[in-house]
Amino acid sequence: MVRRSSRVLRTPVGVVGLTLLAIVVLLTVFAPILWQDRADAVDTLNILAGPSVEHLLGTDALGRDNFFRVLVATRLSILLAVCATAVSLVAGLLLGAAPILLGRRAGRLIGAVVNVLVAFPALLLVLFFAVIFGVGTTGAVLAVGLAGAPVFGRLCQTLVAGVESLDFVAAARISGVRRWRILVSHVLPNIAEPLIVNVTIGAGSMLLAFAGLSFLGLGVQSPAYDWGRLMQDGLSGIYTQPAAALAPGIAVILAGLAFNLTGEAFARGFGITRILGFPPVPAVASPGTPAEPAAADADPRPDTVLDVHNLHVSFPGATGPIRPVRGVSFRVGRGQALGVVGESGSGKSLTALAIAQLVEEPGQVRADRLHFAGQNLLDGSDPRPRGRLLGQNLAVVFQDPMTSFNPGHRMGPQLAEGARRHQGLSRKAALARAVDRLRAVKLGEPERRARQYPFEFSGGMRQRAMIGMGLMGSPRLIIADEPTTALDVTVQQQVLDLLAEIRARDDAALLMISHDVSVLAQVCDRVLVMYAGRVVEELPAAELWTGARHPYSRALVAAVPDMATDVDAPLASIPGRPAGPAEVPVGCAYAARCPLADDRCRTVEPELVADAAGHRVACWRADETGALDPAIKIDEVVTR
Amino acid sequence: MSELVFDEVSVRYGTTKVLDRVSLTVPDGQVVGLVGESGSGKSTLARAAVGLVPLSGGRILLDGAELPRRGRRRPLQLVFQDPYSSLDPRMTIGHSVAEAIPHRLTREARAAEITRLLELVHLDPACADSLPSELSGGQRQRVALARALAGQPEVLIADEITSALDVSVQGAVLNLVRETQRELGLSLLFISHNLAVVRYVASHVAVMLQGRVIEQGPVSEVLKRPVHDYTRQLLAAVPGRRSS
Repeated sequence: MVRRSSRVLRTPVGVVGLTLLAIVVLLTVFAPILWQDRADAVDTLNILAGPSVEHLLGTDALGRDNFFRVLVATRLSILLAVCATAVSLVAGLLLGAAPILLGRRAGRLIGAVVNVLVAFPALLLVLFFAVIFGVGTTGAVLAVGLAGAPVFGRLCQTLVAGVESLDFVAAARISGVRRWRILVSHVLPNIAEPLIVNVTIGAGSMLLAFAGLSFLGLGVQSPAYDWGRLMQDGLSGIYTQPAAALAPGIAVILAGLAFNLTGEAFARGFGITRILGFPPVPAVASPGTPAEPAAADADPRPDTVLDVHNLHVSFPGATGPIRPVRGVSFRVGRGQALGVVGESGSGKSLTALAIAQLVEEPGQVRADRLHFAGQNLLDGSDPRPRGRLLGQNLAVVFQDPMTSFNPGHRMGPQLAEGARRHQGLSRKAALARAVDRLRAVKLGEPERRARQYPFEFSGGMRQRAMIGMGLMGSPRLIIADEPTTALDVTVQQQVLDLLAEIRARDDAALLMISHDVSVLAQVCDRVLVMYAGRVVEELPAAELWTGARHPYSRALVAAVPDMATDVDAPLASIPGRPAGPAEVPVGCAYAARCPLADDRCRTVEPELVADAAGHRVACWRADETGALDPAIKIDEVVTR
Repeated sequence: MSELVFDEVSVRYGTTKVLDRVSLTVPDGQVVGLVGESGSGKSTLARAAVGLVPLSGGRILLDGAELPRRGRRRPLQLVFQDPYSSLDPRMTIGHSVAEAIPHRLTREARAAEITRLLELVHLDPACADSLPSELSGGQRQRVALARALAGQPEVLIADEITSALDVSVQGAVLNLVRETQRELGLSLLFISHNLAVVRYVASHVAVMLQGRVIEQGPVSEVLKRPVHDYTRQLLAAVPGRRSS
């Protein structure tokens, strides 16, 4: 909150708004104290005088100084506007909170009334209430305040409904917390920010409404005066002495701007969540782009689809680059399926994004080698042929199929778009191919489905369509990032079967990312286990339960119950939190959570070493893990 | 004794029947697992039990009596799926837990009770002063459990409490739920879409499909000899190793 406020101050809008507001507040407090006498001093010799050195803006019909009258009127004008805003706010809050306080049915009725009132022009309401409450200051405050209530009521209704639908309000309700208390301790604190912004902006329009009312003679009455009253007094002489009417008008505008700009600046400040102003990333020479070992090490096998060596992804951070992926190497051959498993923050998804060239600025991707289908993806030259290569040969399936499609377009054209761009197909041919691909992913009635919108598809159908989109070309690699996490078990099975079938039919390779080892074990040939941006183990999927050697892999496998888990023993769990990319420790990143860690683990990072069978593991004590029964020993550590 | 009975419970949203005459019993001190796909009505059943959703038919009874819907004593508590939205982001952990304590306590007694509850769920009592944003997902779910236990419930409903968590944390939360249930002798309705998780936690299981309970019985029985086609499909779809 404090940090955000100071950021608000630094924007031009914020500076202007807050400066004006400070002046208005100072005048409100001090103007009547300092200049009341001069504003009220009657000078019969100087009636209706024009501007002079003595009277900057001339004098009124009783010879009183216009300039000081405008300054002194600040207090009354602002106080009245603030009072009216308070009336609006309280009335609005009560209306908006009605569903909580009175229950759903009464709340709905009040909501309907508010909706009707919002449709009335505010000025009409002001005049209506002004007539009811009678001419005078109190009447005007109530009139302006109540006329603003429907708008605030509508706003509060929306804000309250947003918070009320959250689980913590339901939880409080289940615990028997009283309605009033829920409103005060849960709802109000969570709607305060947007409300404050809107109240500040609202105060500006209240000021205007009030000036209008006084100008019409329905507001402040002589001898008291606010800006609206001064405008009315000055109106009679507008042609001979325009300053008398214009000065209070300008005051209204400036004060209104002070409220509006401040509110605007805060609204923007609250909207910004990212801290701007990163220090630039130190330029690092791309390590070993043409370097000898990388070139010498290049994969000779012709059927390698993806060859990644020493892949790094970094982002600029406040205290230096953050490196979520730190030197990942692996190969995927034609028709092979490689799984990547790890906790959130392990860098598994970023690895996939980096391969698909989807890491956005300011992220940086570096690697000794990143070859896809024999082509170097990090080659600095013209990106267009690479775009086409990826467009035709790489399919990417994301976790949430709802956000992967544009909700406003029909499915067929969305699938066809890429084919038209990458394969140069005509609109008709591309659409025909899209229908054919929807059939290939086993969607019934593909012609009809192609004309439908994403919302008409179920989650499983959308995920099929997403895979179908990947099949518009003839992919040699499918990258699937948690493709079934959002789906039901039975639907998950269908999607996994579909992926397996495509692999078999088209000989496509699969890189599948998941947090669920059992899913990977079912689909993949080999599995990479990632931790804190590095590969800590690579092993055949079939050996996950029996042959894992890294303590992290073993714990990860033992933590997920499956249909063979011993129900009498506690599940394994991993103490502590995963090491975040911003604070990667020295030594083995897993040491802090590892029951086997010793001094060497905490100081020297182990290399990823392959054994004769190609099983790779990065652990100093990999040879001892056989003695470790993860289900018991690791859990003992957890409870500490 | 605390036996929770759903007796022919129906719930409608408008004209759609979300629950269709669901009958289910959670016996005293037992864990009943409830499985089914999204949209099958599992969560609605949980919300109906705690009074967040009005019934259109049937009754929900605790030891033969209607559940209290007013006052501070709430013998039935619910732990929500998403620990990110079930804790007020502007309220400290201690305050959130204390709010659910049904009776008035002195300041010292209140602090002692918060400490006891946080220790019960294996959290450092010092985190009572933290805001939810300072805790990890697994820690938040522990807080949510502590809050539910603060109400001194006889029956606890856990609605998909591990599905928003990382696998490494899931095990710890499941262990904790089992341990607490046994220690306090709670009756527990454990809702999950994951049969393997239900198999691990529950002694009985009920399968829901389109608002109806289509099969129920002891876990070993249902998993070995499923009667309904859908249960067989569910079993076949569980990925990974299988017990022979």
